[in-house]
Amino acid sequence: MPTFLHTADWQMGRAFSRFETEDGAALVEARFEAIEKLARLAKEHQCDAVLVAGDVFDAQTVADRTIRRVFNATREFTGPWVMLPGNHDAALAESVWTRARRLAAVPDNVHLALEPGVINLEHQGLAILCAPLTQRNTYSDLTEAFDTWETPDGLARIGLAHGSVQGLLPDEIDSTNPILPNRAQTARLDYLALGDWHGTRQIDERTWYSGTPEPERFRNNEAGYALIVNVPGPRETPGVTPVETARYQWHQWRETLTVESDLDRLLDRLKALPEPSVVDLRLEGAVTLAGEEKLINALSVAEARFRSIQCDRSGLQLEPTDDDIAALKADGYVGEVIEHLRTRQQDDDAQAARDALAILAGLLKDRKQEASE
Amino acid sequence: MKLRRLQVEQLRQFRQPFVMDDLQPGLNLIHGPNESGKSTLVRAIRAAFFERYRTSSVDDLRPWGDSAAAPTITLDFEAQQKSWHLVKSFLQRKRCDLRIDSTSYSEDEAEEKLAELLGFQFSAKGVSKPEHWGVPGLLWVEQGTGQNIEQAVEHAGDHLKSALNSLVGEVASTGGDELIEQVKTRWSELFTPKGKPRGDYQKLEQEREEHQQEIDELQARIQKYQEQVDRLGKLTREYERTQQERPWEEAERQLEQAKERYRQVEKLEQQQAQEKEILNHLQSRQQLLRQNQEQLESLNRKLDVRKAELERAQRELDQAEARSPSIASSVQQAKSAYEAAAKQVEQARLQETRSRLEQDIQRLDQQNRTLTQNLEKARQYEQELEKAREQARQNQIDARAVKALKDTEHQLKEENIRSQTIATRLTWELEPDARLVLNDEPLEGRGDRQLLEDSSLEIPGVGTLGITPGGEDLASTRRRLSTLEQGLTEQMKTLGVDSVQQAEHRLVAYEAAERTLQHTRELLKSVAPVGNDQLLADQKETLSQLQKAKTELHNSPAPEPAQSRVTDVASAEAGRAQAETRLAEAEAQERKHQTELLTRRQTRDNAKAEWQQLLDEVQNPERQKQFQTLSKELADIEEKQGRLEATLQAREQEIAQARPEILKQDIERYQRSINNLRQTQEERQRELRDIQVRLEAWGAEGLEEQRNDKVAELEQCNRRYQELRRRAQALDLLLTLLTEKRQALTRRLQAPLQKHLDHYLSLLFPQATLEVDEHLRPGTFTRGTELGQINELSFGAREQMGLISRLAYADLLREAGRPTLVILDDTLVHSDTDRLDDMKRILFDAANRHQILLFTCHPEKWSDLGVVPRDILAMKEQGLRLTSSESLTGSSQ
Repeated sequence: MPTFLHTADWQMGRAFSRFETEDGAALVEARFEAIEKLARLAKEHQCDAVLVAGDVFDAQTVADRTIRRVFNATREFTGPWVMLPGNHDAALAESVWTRARRLAAVPDNVHLALEPGVINLEHQGLAILCAPLTQRNTYSDLTEAFDTWETPDGLARIGLAHGSVQGLLPDEIDSTNPILPNRAQTARLDYLALGDWHGTRQIDERTWYSGTPEPERFRNNEAGYALIVNVPGPRETPGVTPVETARYQWHQWRETLTVESDLDRLLDRLKALPEPSVVDLRLEGAVTLAGEEKLINALSVAEARFRSIQCDRSGLQLEPTDDDIAALKADGYVGEVIEHLRTRQQDDDAQAARDALAILAGLLKDRKQEASE
Repeated sequence: MKLRRLQVEQLRQFRQPFVMDDLQPGLNLIHGPNESGKSTLVRAIRAAFFERYRTSSVDDLRPWGDSAAAPTITLDFEAQQKSWHLVKSFLQRKRCDLRIDSTSYSEDEAEEKLAELLGFQFSAKGVSKPEHWGVPGLLWVEQGTGQNIEQAVEHAGDHLKSALNSLVGEVASTGGDELIEQVKTRWSELFTPKGKPRGDYQKLEQEREEHQQEIDELQARIQKYQEQVDRLGKLTREYERTQQERPWEEAERQLEQAKERYRQVEKLEQQQAQEKEILNHLQSRQQLLRQNQEQLESLNRKLDVRKAELERAQRELDQAEARSPSIASSVQQAKSAYEAAAKQVEQARLQETRSRLEQDIQRLDQQNRTLTQNLEKARQYEQELEKAREQARQNQIDARAVKALKDTEHQLKEENIRSQTIATRLTWELEPDARLVLNDEPLEGRGDRQLLEDSSLEIPGVGTLGITPGGEDLASTRRRLSTLEQGLTEQMKTLGVDSVQQAEHRLVAYEAAERTLQHTRELLKSVAPVGNDQLLADQKETLSQLQKAKTELHNSPAPEPAQSRVTDVASAEAGRAQAETRLAEAEAQERKHQTELLTRRQTRDNAKAEWQQLLDEVQNPERQKQFQTLSKELADIEEKQGRLEATLQAREQEIAQARPEILKQDIERYQRSINNLRQTQEERQRELRDIQVRLEAWGAEGLEEQRNDKVAELEQCNRRYQELRRRAQALDLLLTLLTEKRQALTRRLQAPLQKHLDHYLSLLFPQATLEVDEHLRPGTFTRGTELGQINELSFGAREQMGLISRLAYADLLREAGRPTLVILDDTLVHSDTDRLDDMKRILFDAANRHQILLFTCHPEKWSDLGVVPRDILAMKEQGLRLTSSESLTGSSQ
């Protein structure tokens, strides 16, 4: 009755360029923490082994420190780890793996599946059929060999592979590293642990993508989980339990503001998000000067609350109401300029006009405040 | 605003009250020498308005050395349709009182009223400075500052603009300029004055590029790293496969085989060389023998040749001899043909001579006949000539005399006719028996007479009638008639004729004889041009020639009658020449034949001798034996040679089939392949080690992670840059818009000022333009092709421009309903006379709208200004008198 933890796509060494330096660093840190969390979970769930289905590293040439930290983070779980090279960290003649070995960074309990073949963990009752990528991309199904590989009786047959299950995943028809959808059946596997798809996804009762343990894009669905897999006996259906591992939630919202209440609703939603969130907003439509002020204030508050919030307002027009303009006390030619900028927001250089209007409004407001003081 | 009266006391040199009243609404010219107090008066007006009454900083107003003085200025003026009375005292008695019509104000309130009226500010502390002066600062020109207008305009700016606003009805933005300054400050943080990015904006742009460059470099290295990894994989596979297959061992085996085969071929080649040597010996021996044999055989062949030669010579000789008779006969024929041709020529010549003589005789005979005829004719003509001459001699008469005679006769006839017409005509018709006698001539029956002379008509039985014809001409006519009749008779006598007709007959006869003479002469000349004697001599000569020709013909031999055909000499000559040529040819042919004959005989004899000589030699017996021995020896050698050659050929083929050169190449090829294979493997091993080392080093750098970090940095940089760029664009747009709108506004505001400026300028420089800039200052000046700023002009011109600009502002202010007062302290001292005249016109014109106080120490320069100059010194004295009287009465305002 072996139990093991299935994870994949750690992508260690990835940088988060779209965020501020500080936020990017925190997101990188979270990925190391995720490995530690996986080790802890494996221990807690008394797993016999941890299987990592490819893309442990985001690139071949990552810093030595990154390599060492990855293996250090596995320390809490002392059982066997089997790590499979994926397309990002393929087992080339010289690879991140050969370097890790040269650095003597790989603990004895971590098995590197650098060549196709079976790793027998007799003690744990597991035979791991490994299909590592030995080139950056392949166009043949590396798991085909599983069909012919024999494993000792009494050991569960567990496949470990990295690639795209054919015909199931959208937009990846001609994708590289193809995998037959019913490989688990043809190779008489008890379970097939897959990597490459960053969201958790079940293909059939014996075949799963675990997804990445810590989200790193806005697009992923169901990212941030690991799978605890229990194999009750030969040819029996395995029990698969997703366990949440993510620290940060990634949200990407595209909103159009038309009436004032739209903005209020948006801000309410924003308030409802938990603090460890990464938010990307793109706003369109129009706001009044007051609305803009409110929005800016809310974003300022959000910046302090969330890990990161980015807001693209270039599609959002600034539409001062007549009251707004009256409040600014802009008479004479300054008034003409405001009117001009208002209409110009419909033109090609709408963004410049919008920004110019915002600056002008700001200056006038400052002046008004000075005057009132 | 109209200043009516000015009074000062205890103020600088005006210790006593000084009054200047009756100031005119237009121009006021106030003069006095230096230090008479002109500038003090100007200062007093300024102080009355600008200086706060309570200030202590106006010590300059105090009369020298009088610490107890209270400098006081009293002004009366009209403004805003009201009467204003201002009394302001400083220092010892600090007071300000203002009465507008009947309303009184004092102290600060009074001062505020003044500032509001004229448009200036008070100094917060101390003495009033130019920046406080506002509109008066522009219109009140201190000595020597007339040209400096920019500062003054700036200080009056707000007042001018508000005046303009009220005129144009535009609303300038409240604090708009300040706003533009703020935007500009923010814009300047991002841009240089020329609009190039600066500061962070520029730095970020640069950083972006640097980052991109670093990334590109890293990317290139990563690319190289990956290539090396691929190379490593490929090399490793190749190395291991090669190490397993050991392909050089197979090559070594093949090399051994090739070498063995080559050794065998070499052995065969040695044998071949030896046997070829033997064959060479045999061949040279054979050659020697052959040469001997050949020599022997050659004698026989020579004999045959000589025999043939002899026979041919004999044959040729025979042929030549056979041709001899025919050649001889052809010579004979040619000879006889030639002789015949010669005779033919002789006959032809004879014939030709005879025919020529016959022709001569014929010709001469003819000639003789002609001459005889001519002679005869000539003689006849001579007789005729003589006859004609005789005729002419008898009838000789002068043709001109005859003509004259005829003329005379003609005149006479005409004269007669005329006399008839003027003569008295007497007609009569008498009874048959009646008789009249006229001039002794009886008349009867009918008739008439012309009477030219006095006539008498006798009527028988009656008496005699005298008739005298009338008219003056009658007597002259009668005289002429008798003259002409006399002339006629004389002429006829001279000519020896009785009548005119006779004279004419003789003339005709004479002329006919002359003509016959002429004709006959011509005829004679035609037959005997040189006379009859020559003709006779010619005939004699011809006759003798004829005789001679006849004799010659008779003597010449007659042609042979046998000669049937008579040819002409030319063709006969040609025939002979032809025959001669043929003869020469035939003779040459014969000579050639003789020579040939001789030559051939000689040849035949030589050939025979040689043949005989060789025949003797060939038939020698010793030579026969030698020949047989040679033949046998040769046959022996040939047999041996045949066998040897067969062996050689077989072996040659064997060697060729083995292809020794290819075998040699094979050996080299295998050798090289082995080397290459081993070397390649070694190199692979070396490269593997190299790549391994290199990759280990590069891998340690964490290139991709570095690249990712750099990309993150670049994106940061980019984001910041984009933010700044957006801000820059927005600021740029905002600044441009604000400036544009403001300029548009300014342009609208400038128009009224420009109008006034143009008015004055056209008086000073008719063709010039002076543009008002955005700060309402006079700016660009053009005159003809000149173009420049005001401050580039000469001092004098600048001062003039300054003054007309001020007047233009004054007009503008007045138009906007603001009070204007123009004070000019010794202005235009740098203007020449012409320019000054123009300026006077301008001032006079401006004085129609504004009160102008003009202070000067050169009253003579302004004498034609059209106003009465006022002398300060005179006013002082008057003032003294006034003051004393006032002080007596004690009345004071």
